[in-house]
Amino acid sequence: MLEIKDLHAAVDGKEILKGLTLRVGAGEVHAIMGPNGSGKSTLSYVLAGRAGYEITGGSIAYKGEDLTSLSADARAAKGVFLAMQYPVEIPGVTTLTFLKTALNAQRRARGEKDIDAVGVLRLVRAKAAALKVSEEMLKRALNVGFSGGEKKRLEILQMALFEPALAVLDETDSGLDIDALKLVADGVNALRSPDRAMLVITHYQRLLDYIVPDRVHVLSAGRIIKEGGKELALELEAKGYAQIVKDAA
Amino acid sequence: MNALPHRKLEDWKYSDLRNAVDESVVASAPTAAWSVASAHGGVEIDDLPTIAPRGPHGVMAEMAIAKAKTGPYLRVAKGDTGAVHLHLTEGGHGRAVILIEEGASLTLQETVLAGEFANIAVELVVGRNAQLTHVRNAPYRDAVQVADYAVRVAEGGIYRAHFADFGGKLSRTELHIALEGEGAQAHLSGVGVLNGAHADVTTHVTHAVPDTQSTQLFKYVAGGHARGIYQGKVSVAVGADGSDSRQTAKGLLLGERAEIDLKPELEILADDVKCAHGAAVGDLDIDSLFYLMSRGIPEAEARALLMRAFLGDAVDRIADEGIRGAVWLDVEKALEGLT
Repeated sequence: MLEIKDLHAAVDGKEILKGLTLRVGAGEVHAIMGPNGSGKSTLSYVLAGRAGYEITGGSIAYKGEDLTSLSADARAAKGVFLAMQYPVEIPGVTTLTFLKTALNAQRRARGEKDIDAVGVLRLVRAKAAALKVSEEMLKRALNVGFSGGEKKRLEILQMALFEPALAVLDETDSGLDIDALKLVADGVNALRSPDRAMLVITHYQRLLDYIVPDRVHVLSAGRIIKEGGKELALELEAKGYAQIVKDAA
Repeated sequence: MNALPHRKLEDWKYSDLRNAVDESVVASAPTAAWSVASAHGGVEIDDLPTIAPRGPHGVMAEMAIAKAKTGPYLRVAKGDTGAVHLHLTEGGHGRAVILIEEGASLTLQETVLAGEFANIAVELVVGRNAQLTHVRNAPYRDAVQVADYAVRVAEGGIYRAHFADFGGKLSRTELHIALEGEGAQAHLSGVGVLNGAHADVTTHVTHAVPDTQSTQLFKYVAGGHARGIYQGKVSVAVGADGSDSRQTAKGLLLGERAEIDLKPELEILADDVKCAHGAAVGDLDIDSLFYLMSRGIPEAEARALLMRAFLGDAVDRIADEGIRGAVWLDVEKALEGLT
């Protein structure tokens, strides 16, 4: 599904990713763990196609296609989704209007017909209940005045609605208490599927108690320095990043 | 000797009329012409009487008053309700007087369709407990248009106004508002959607007596070499205690050649007043743009969505659903040209 080879990427001329290699197959959930400044968010932005993140070497193939030449919106239409660490507040655009605009933009790019407002509302309602996203939230301006938990639930609702083939979850656990974390994790687990790959990016092992990964990769200074099964997350938690980085050196 | 205001005058710093129009065009301009596009309810429409009320105006309005031979006179009698849509169909110097008597209410729409030069002075008199809702729509024209409104609001009266300005070679809207009776209110809003054009809104709201209230919300989107200007002065007179005034002006710059100047100003000579003002100019937020694009929304559509959202609260101050919808259509059309 996703094959990253020797990826180098820079922001403002500063190299952040320094030869990252990673392969995630369909149906798999991989976790990327790393300390602050290791390049976790840069990786998520590079995958989503954010302007200003320059790829200086290597390749990213998604379903065998070069991802790097596509704009962010084209990637979304092809099934790449990024659940963001800090979902943006947009006053003046209601959540439901946003969902309808995004869903139809993706459909149009794929040559599918628009869904009308009633149809979108029906689709959203069907997915919203499990994530405890209320009708009232849908009427409010996008993410404005939402709690940390509400923002993250809305990210997962979008993932459920857009049904991406590749979902990247950037620090989805940040700012969540344990109940909110469980709710979000249940939402993510419900979307695990043989056709879908997930990349779960996190600083802490806690999230991986609830979203159990098939593989764990440790990112440090822009490179994957170690990988293993789900038990690697526990080892990291016990030893700390400094020790793992030292062992790998 | 050229009598037109120019950029060395503080009030006209950002709108150099002397440079924008030839003095001979101004001197020889005819009397402007209006047409009544629609009128409903209890509104009387006539030509201006020889003696008409006049409030404080700017220099150009004084010229319009001196030169305009006639103009429309609208009156809503005590307790009546009416709606009028005026078109300015021919440029020149123009005058209009609109009188809303005690307890009456009027919805006034104005659309500017005039020629290369227009200079209009309008008197608006809002009587005791009367209400005036005023929406002015100035489509883009490669022209010089000056409009100056003197608004007097009596006890318990409410003036609500919205100015949608798509700019021109030079577009200047002046509002001189006097809240003259206790409980009088003025609520002003406006948007400027400028694609390489100029639009200037200059307001002066005077809280003359206690317990008066004013709000202002003006927003500009400027692309190309556009110039958007808001100069807003609020004066609270001696003794006008308990006055409440809020002023907000915001601008969105779409390019390096565009310029937006926002200048809110307060002059408070009373006690126990609530006065707040804020102004901010910024670029389109790149985090928001990326967020929308990452959800599959193409860049042009995402930019239009963000601009629409930016202008939203100002346009939505128009309470009348039909008029609001019409203004939105014009705004959206103008935004398309900016993306």
